Amino acid sequence: MFIDIDCHQIKKYNQNAFGDYFVSKRYPDEAKLIAVLSDGLGSGIKANILSCMTATMLLKFVEGDQIPIKDAAEIVMNSLPVCQVRKISYSTFSIIDVNDEGHAKIVEEGNPDFIWIHNGEIMEPSFESIPSKNHKNRCMKSYKIQLELGDRLIFCSDGITQCGLGNEKLKLGLRRSGLIEIVKSKLEEEPEISSSDLSSYIIRQARNIETDRNPKDDMSALVLYCREPRKSLIFTGPPYNQKNDAQYAKTFIDFNGKKAIAGGTTANLLSRELNIPITMDKTISVGKLPSCSYMEGVDLVTEGILTLTQTLEYLESGELYVDNAAGKLVKFLLDSDCIHFMVGAKLNQAHYNPTLPIEIEIRKNIIKKMKTVLQDKYYKKVSIAYM
Amino acid sequence: MAKVNVKVCLGTTCFVMGSSNLQELIELVPKKYGDDVEVAGSPCLGLCSIDWEFSKAPYVKVNNEVIKEATVEKVLAAIDKELKN
Repeated sequence: MFIDIDCHQIKKYNQNAFGDYFVSKRYPDEAKLIAVLSDGLGSGIKANILSCMTATMLLKFVEGDQIPIKDAAEIVMNSLPVCQVRKISYSTFSIIDVNDEGHAKIVEEGNPDFIWIHNGEIMEPSFESIPSKNHKNRCMKSYKIQLELGDRLIFCSDGITQCGLGNEKLKLGLRRSGLIEIVKSKLEEEPEISSSDLSSYIIRQARNIETDRNPKDDMSALVLYCREPRKSLIFTGPPYNQKNDAQYAKTFIDFNGKKAIAGGTTANLLSRELNIPITMDKTISVGKLPSCSYMEGVDLVTEGILTLTQTLEYLESGELYVDNAAGKLVKFLLDSDCIHFMVGAKLNQAHYNPTLPIEIEIRKNIIKKMKTVLQDKYYKKVSIAYM
Repeated sequence: MAKVNVKVCLGTTCFVMGSSNLQELIELVPKKYGDDVEVAGSPCLGLCSIDWEFSKAPYVKVNNEVIKEATVEKVLAAIDKELKN
């Protein structure tokens, strides 16, 4: 099972910093994911610092597995200072620790209760209340739930449940029930909607409710969606030992999921081993990259190092919709959940020609960097095998 | 008469060594020769790794003749030669 996670946010009207903070990390070795959403008191820079500190501290506490999530949350709850102006606690948080079997541990303090949708129904999970020993008005809720394929979890900051507060129509704001209505009707329309699309939809709807579309508080919507992973495989570079070409080619073509080839020599090798002809795009490639080629049964065939380097640049800068070979590779990667790279270790001596531009980097390094950015920025599961 | 087959290598080495400029052949050649000559790109002709020490990229193949350090002029001359044969 794959957990598709994404969070969208908007700032309070007239502020230049986010007062809510979202942080998430995947741990491929332990097959789990931790996410924290925190809402700092007030807004702007102050709230940004408070929520950022709370969220990153919680993540650090929990990730080592040294303290159970409940204890970690309790420590943070008890030690968070009290705001001098408002005499109330200074940031709220929700923390989620979920593994690939769907076993989820959730602790919330101060944020609106999360929404759990199972088979289109809203679930009401039981929880344990843990009041703070030294702060009267603090009480956290600890949940242990079992998620199944198709389940969704929605977390939000109070900016969403309170949006529209004081409007003619919504005197008490949108509230949790209103948010449930919005989510339910969207899910009826698009049952398979991705977390990214759903969270941005929630934010847009909440903003539309506000008078003049000016958010009165920071808004965040965090969505988790359990689904079958979309798998993809990228074959780049010829294997070090030519004897194994046939075997690797078979692994490639037998792969159950989307397939891409990055590399001219690699494409030729697979074409030879699998007896599938390559046709090259007849159009002139615009700009700095060679155009794509086509092979039956393969979703994308591009040139190697230059395209990979450019793809990495796009992924890092967030420039995601470019119409060239690298743009296509970016789309290929982002439309997948689990990405496996098969990286050939053979070196092309011609690339060590000193007259070549220095952008020609070693393939292994590019793939390594790509893995980092795909994991940390786009929350993908990435694995690499060297051949 | 058999068609003359032109393949422009668009592998990494050839591409950075100048075959990106050779892509104009894809437009130029049909204008000049019509249907007698067919131009296509190739993911990699595999030539740079054979004699890299004297790497003469970019490479273009006109029928079976390999053109080293190819330029538009060189390729056009080779096509003319093939057409005469």
